[in-house]
Amino acid sequence: MAAMMQPQIILLKEGTDTSQGKAQLISNINACMAVVDLVRTTLGPRGMDKLIHDDKGTTISNDGATIMKLLDIVHPAAKILVDIAKSQDLEVGDGTTTVVLLAGEFLREAKPYVEEGVHPQLLIKSFRTAANLAVQKIKELAVSIEGKSFDEKKSLLEKCAATTLSSKLVGGEKEFFSKMVVEAVTILGEDDSLSMIGVKKVPGGTMRDSFLVKGVAFKKTFSYAGFEQQPKKFENPKILLLNVELELKSEKENAEVRLSDPSQYQSIVDAEWNIIYDKLDKCVKAGAKIVLSRLAIGDLATQYFADRDIFCAGRVAEEDLQRVANATGGAVQTSVNNIVPEVLGTCEIFEERQVGNERFNIFTGCPSGETATIVLRGGADQFIDEAERSLHDAIMIVRRAAKNSTVVAGGGAIDMEISRFLRQHARSIAGKSQLFINSYAKALEVIPRQLCDNAGFDATDILNRLRQKHALSSGEGALFGVDINNGGVIDTFTNFVWEPAVVKINAITAATEAACLILSVDETIRNPKSESAQGEGAANAMARRGGFRGRGRGMRRR
Amino acid sequence: MASFHLQPHGMQSMLKEGHRLLSGLDEAVLRNIDACKELSQITRTSLGPNGMNKMVINHLDKLFVTSDAGTIVNELEVQHPAAKLLVLAGKAQQEEIGDGANLVISFAGELLQGAEDLIRIGLHPSEIISGYTKATNKALALLEELVEPNSETIDVRSKEQVVQRMKSAIASKQYGQEDILTPLIAEACIQVCPKNPGNFNVDNVRVAKILGGGINDCYVVRGMVLKVEAMGSIKHVEKAKIAVFGGGVDTAATETKGTVLIKNAQQLENYAKTEEAKIEELIKAVASSGANVIVSGGAVGEMALHFCERYKLMVLKISSKFELRRFCRTTGAISLVKLSLPSPDELGHADSVSVDEIGGTRVTIVKNEEAGNLVSSIIIRASTESILDDVERAVDDGVNVYKAMCKDSRIVPGAGASELELAKRINEFGDKETGLDQYAIGKYAESLEVVPKTLAENAGLNSTDVISSLYAAHAAGNVKAGVDVEQGGYKDMTTENVWDLFVTKYWAIKLAANAVCTVLQVDQIIMAKQAGGPKMNRPMDGEED
Repeated sequence: MAAMMQPQIILLKEGTDTSQGKAQLISNINACMAVVDLVRTTLGPRGMDKLIHDDKGTTISNDGATIMKLLDIVHPAAKILVDIAKSQDLEVGDGTTTVVLLAGEFLREAKPYVEEGVHPQLLIKSFRTAANLAVQKIKELAVSIEGKSFDEKKSLLEKCAATTLSSKLVGGEKEFFSKMVVEAVTILGEDDSLSMIGVKKVPGGTMRDSFLVKGVAFKKTFSYAGFEQQPKKFENPKILLLNVELELKSEKENAEVRLSDPSQYQSIVDAEWNIIYDKLDKCVKAGAKIVLSRLAIGDLATQYFADRDIFCAGRVAEEDLQRVANATGGAVQTSVNNIVPEVLGTCEIFEERQVGNERFNIFTGCPSGETATIVLRGGADQFIDEAERSLHDAIMIVRRAAKNSTVVAGGGAIDMEISRFLRQHARSIAGKSQLFINSYAKALEVIPRQLCDNAGFDATDILNRLRQKHALSSGEGALFGVDINNGGVIDTFTNFVWEPAVVKINAITAATEAACLILSVDETIRNPKSESAQGEGAANAMARRGGFRGRGRGMRRR
Repeated sequence: MASFHLQPHGMQSMLKEGHRLLSGLDEAVLRNIDACKELSQITRTSLGPNGMNKMVINHLDKLFVTSDAGTIVNELEVQHPAAKLLVLAGKAQQEEIGDGANLVISFAGELLQGAEDLIRIGLHPSEIISGYTKATNKALALLEELVEPNSETIDVRSKEQVVQRMKSAIASKQYGQEDILTPLIAEACIQVCPKNPGNFNVDNVRVAKILGGGINDCYVVRGMVLKVEAMGSIKHVEKAKIAVFGGGVDTAATETKGTVLIKNAQQLENYAKTEEAKIEELIKAVASSGANVIVSGGAVGEMALHFCERYKLMVLKISSKFELRRFCRTTGAISLVKLSLPSPDELGHADSVSVDEIGGTRVTIVKNEEAGNLVSSIIIRASTESILDDVERAVDDGVNVYKAMCKDSRIVPGAGASELELAKRINEFGDKETGLDQYAIGKYAESLEVVPKTLAENAGLNSTDVISSLYAAHAAGNVKAGVDVEQGGYKDMTTENVWDLFVTKYWAIKLAANAVCTVLQVDQIIMAKQAGGPKMNRPMDGEED
């Protein structure tokens, strides 16, 4: 063709990399599976932790979302997995490993079909149908905890928290922590904003030294001389929360004093002192016994308050101050003028207490009560960090469970049951989708299988026993899952391995969406980076052109 | 560079060194056609419900996963001048109707493919152009005949009728989800449809993307959803009266650099006090006007916030000017530039303003049902950012379709049925033509088959089988038979309820034909030397392959 002898057609910008077709789809699937293999061993109570070392330090974690985030994945398809882990984290807080694992398994099942030439859209359609059926089935199987008495509900929530915690580093103390978490969440009441639960970390001691404060606790702030003389314990004090600097300093940056008469100089100095004394006086007059400020409280003010038996703390972190405000019913003031009694908060007991080698300010018995603080103790820093993440997951789970009030059997039982249901359903379908829904059902078995693998059991054996139980026509085996302690199968529901239904529903929806998204892509086009990263981008483009010439630009093949 | 030596004209002496000149059939026309075909190859596999997605990573490293041709060609940064014409046609369609961009590009690509064949057998481009133009005019006239009777009147407030017309547009973007999304979009559109539907503004249907959950969790909110939290401790206001301050709520400061000179102690002591008193006075004035919500377009000073809390005012900060304007439109507020006492008619109203948690995100929902709802929002939930973006595009398309149907609600059978019928009739028309035109008209008819063919191909069916069975059905008088992407074979699209808007098809055919004629009319390409030195070696690099 003569035309082709001419300088070739440049359709897209130089450096643009396009790849398309089945090979592209398979390579996307492979990339995702590589990522999934990284996190799969963290699943379940016997899952292993990962140590990730980056320039920000070392993190030890077992939380899927944390690991995925730290991995810094650049592959566009694999990035989708990071997204679903994030979404699961936002929506329910736990089950992040599950969601990634499921998505990976769906893709693994889809791969042979794609290789054989099945149109991906057919797979997608069947997967979506299967996901909808699975979600319906979960809703059917879920047990509501609504309508139970408060105490009963609480113990049910504890079970959910325990299931989450059992797969974490703090699993050994799951009873202890699950009680604490449920307590904390129940304190929150209706408007359960997550920011109202504070988690403070104090290295040293053991995990069992951790405790829950029904109120607010924060580390003693930097203090000036005179602080020692202040009383450290109050009963029913009035609490004033400020956003004011109580220090001797210039009022405004843009003001300047110019004097023609030197004798007036002293009066100006006095005036400055007057201003600060006036402020302090107003605080005292308001009747406050405790003064907290987001900004600094200087040595003058500290001494002034000490003389009048008032406790003060400056430079309190914003979120702590907000929590105090919420708990004590006070409001943060930006001015000390005109302090009305309503803006003062109160609590039953305030004290400064020693925790490890830190002093803590603790407010308890607060009137509005909707705040809680968990003080975590433990050995290494990384350990406490991981414990904090674990507690966050547990807190989220309990919040969701309390809101949605339905639970399902954990330990792979629900997954096996859905799998069985889908297999059964598939038999009633004529056509290719029977195969695909069967594969989907098979993919769901990855959860119990991975649980066994991680615990060192014979997965094939246990899975077959589970299948047998679930296939019982009477339906009595529907609640059987992996017995992680003894190896074998067990009715997980009666053994209190519970998960909120919403975790599973969201995991299945998100994993299916992600799998379908990856399956639906048949072409990747990468434009060169713009000026912002010109140097680097251009260099990459050059390198890419050298390396991928054969496969790279689809345009040139013809 | 072979092209330089082959140039027969004396152009080199005329133009600056480094220019490139391509002319004649082989060099210009066929190469242009090739480039356009490449482009339509990329988008073609995305056509229809079973179309595949593309992953496009643009120059800012943002990842798009989409089958929306408008987005794909937008992010592709097409460089070839002829291919750009197609892109522009696609964009024109996107702007005119907001949907059907893929139809334009695929159809144009197919027309050019036909033109190439004709050129190879010896036709002159101008004959092809005249044939194509004739065929286009005929096609547009025939299309009107295909319009479903009684469809020109529509009750744009009837959800059922709207859903019927919108469904196929959504299905081509989010296949399998259309039954969930279409009613939502229809509901949102109907809510904000003004008295005269022709004035429907697409900007009034908002989308709030919130990560987490799934498509099933999407829902419509009558009012606005802002992805910000209220600043103060007041999180919920019923029967809100809203004062909007575009310039921020803070103490006034001079723009010019100024220094306050203090002469004596008295002044120093009073300086801070006066400022405080001033802002209290202002906030008090706002509160006294009856307002209980303050919306700020800029920074909210700490002192101002303090007094807002004191006077029990809810404070919202909306940084985006567009968002603020929409907010004003919903609530009927007038944005004040300066912090001052708002007059009663400058205040906006809302049934409720409250902070809520969706997924892990805290949002503020402004509901306004009583006072005539002007903005409605669709909350989209999905598990990844890319899905969120893609659903948003589907919603955009749906809303645009609604707008188009408010103006012209005529519908034609979808799923390739109309295209095939057109192909059949144009073929008959062509046979009656004398002269060389009939070849071009024949090719035009053949090109129209691209729609059912691609639909079938993308669904994993045997396209030849499908096309032949469709022709058989149409010849038997079943003019509404289209591709059945689920079972294979054909089905009557009226029973399946797959309809396309007449205007979408009309413009798609017209724009595609226009672009094709423009591409064919070019017989010379003259490229001046690109500015800058190093770029010159790029074509060299290309030739090495």
